[in-house]
Amino acid sequence: MNGGRRVVITGCGVVSSLGNTPEELYSRLVAGESAVRIMTEWGTGQAAAPVDLPESEVRSIPRSKRRFMGRVAILSALAGRKAAESAGLSEEEVHSERTGCVVGSTIGSTTEMESSFRTLLVGAGIADMSPMAFFKCASHTTAFNMASLLDIAGAVYSPSAACASGLQAAGIGMAMISSGIQDVVLCGGADEVSPLVSGCFELMEAHASAEGQPPDRIARPFERGRNGLVCGEGAGILVLEEYEHARARGARILAEIYSYSSCRCPGSVSQSDSSSILRCMRDVYRQVDFTPAETDYISAHATSTRQGDKAEADALRSVFGESVPVSSLKGHLGHTLAASGTLEIIAVLEMMKHGMLIPTRNLEEVDPECGGLDHVREPRPCRIRRVLKNCFAFGGINSAMLFGDVNE
Amino acid sequence: MTREEIVEAVNTAFEEMEIPREELTPEKEFFKDLGLDSLDMVDLMISLQRKFGVQLRQNEEIKKVRTLNDIYDFFVKLDAQRNAGDGSAK
Repeated sequence: MNGGRRVVITGCGVVSSLGNTPEELYSRLVAGESAVRIMTEWGTGQAAAPVDLPESEVRSIPRSKRRFMGRVAILSALAGRKAAESAGLSEEEVHSERTGCVVGSTIGSTTEMESSFRTLLVGAGIADMSPMAFFKCASHTTAFNMASLLDIAGAVYSPSAACASGLQAAGIGMAMISSGIQDVVLCGGADEVSPLVSGCFELMEAHASAEGQPPDRIARPFERGRNGLVCGEGAGILVLEEYEHARARGARILAEIYSYSSCRCPGSVSQSDSSSILRCMRDVYRQVDFTPAETDYISAHATSTRQGDKAEADALRSVFGESVPVSSLKGHLGHTLAASGTLEIIAVLEMMKHGMLIPTRNLEEVDPECGGLDHVREPRPCRIRRVLKNCFAFGGINSAMLFGDVNE
Repeated sequence: MTREEIVEAVNTAFEEMEIPREELTPEKEFFKDLGLDSLDMVDLMISLQRKFGVQLRQNEEIKKVRTLNDIYDFFVKLDAQRNAGDGSAK
């Protein structure tokens, strides 16, 4: 549809606060679970949705590789390994120079940064610091560590665009395959929760107050009473593959990616605006041969902030009205930042398989400013063939992707 | 500290690098036998600094160690110097 080689999704791997397989993630989402809890260990009173990662799973990464990884890289590497297994790629295919990886995070491991600065500034100083700190805190820690674990020989890129990183990674991976640079690209995003990031969001008044709310009610996308986002953590990695390459090896094709677009929000680096979101969404439809009304589902960015949800709802209303179902998964998972784009696509792939739309959690009363849309408010059976995924990021970055059934 | 206490403290540092205790025999060389590399050695020195309360970065003697026994001997000698009131290794 974009004039280049066709790109399909042939595998996915997830590490999330609601399960470490796509199946478990789906079943817990459709059951309406929330992973949000008060982070008592932070001592800040803030809520987040952390991943419960078994030590045995962490230790499944050999120490020789793991020593370079902070938490965010471990999340990414584990999801990447699951994705490669899910795609049924042989070792030879994974190690081929025709296979690359594009994975991003908002920032390197914040846990390791805090620990390093404590040693440097408060503790014994540089003599007591580990050289591994560089590898754990580097901006491309998710990408090179995942590539190292899987022994990937192709191109390695690491887009860092906060909450759009994962979807940007998939967009870049798509372009690399479409243009013939690679045949297979493992793409996605990861982030770990930390008081540093949640604290900054609170200072910007983007983070929800946990006061007086049960933790599982704090994140409420599109809801009248919403007062901010809650950070989540996790990793979502997709295996993108050139269509004929996938067919030739008899791969199971989960979906085709039709188009991707990214553009800047010119007005502000901290507030999204509906006109640039609209521009981004129109551009993904410009590249395909179906209309917005022929979309079956919109996986919204909607993080539960006052301003961001309204801006997205305004843009969606002007394109879709009430013709296409919309929901956000941030009420269940919190906002998994760089992971959100691809992690939520993995949830949507499961929705497609099960023919079921997962509703927006905690959406009791739709904010009139977010109205005029077909909000999914309870699990809804649906034949899902075409999906729009939105992601918007601090820094004024919009991104959108269309994917769905393979066009035979 | 007795030699046994020193051996125990050093072996614990190696165990923290996930090397099983049964592999920690005195003749083992770090790079050849235990699979460590230069970056591991920096982390190991940091761990030993903390355990023994010394600074090792500028120490020329520690750079010569090759086997576990070399490290045991290094800290036995260091401990003896400390007990003798000679803080030159610090």
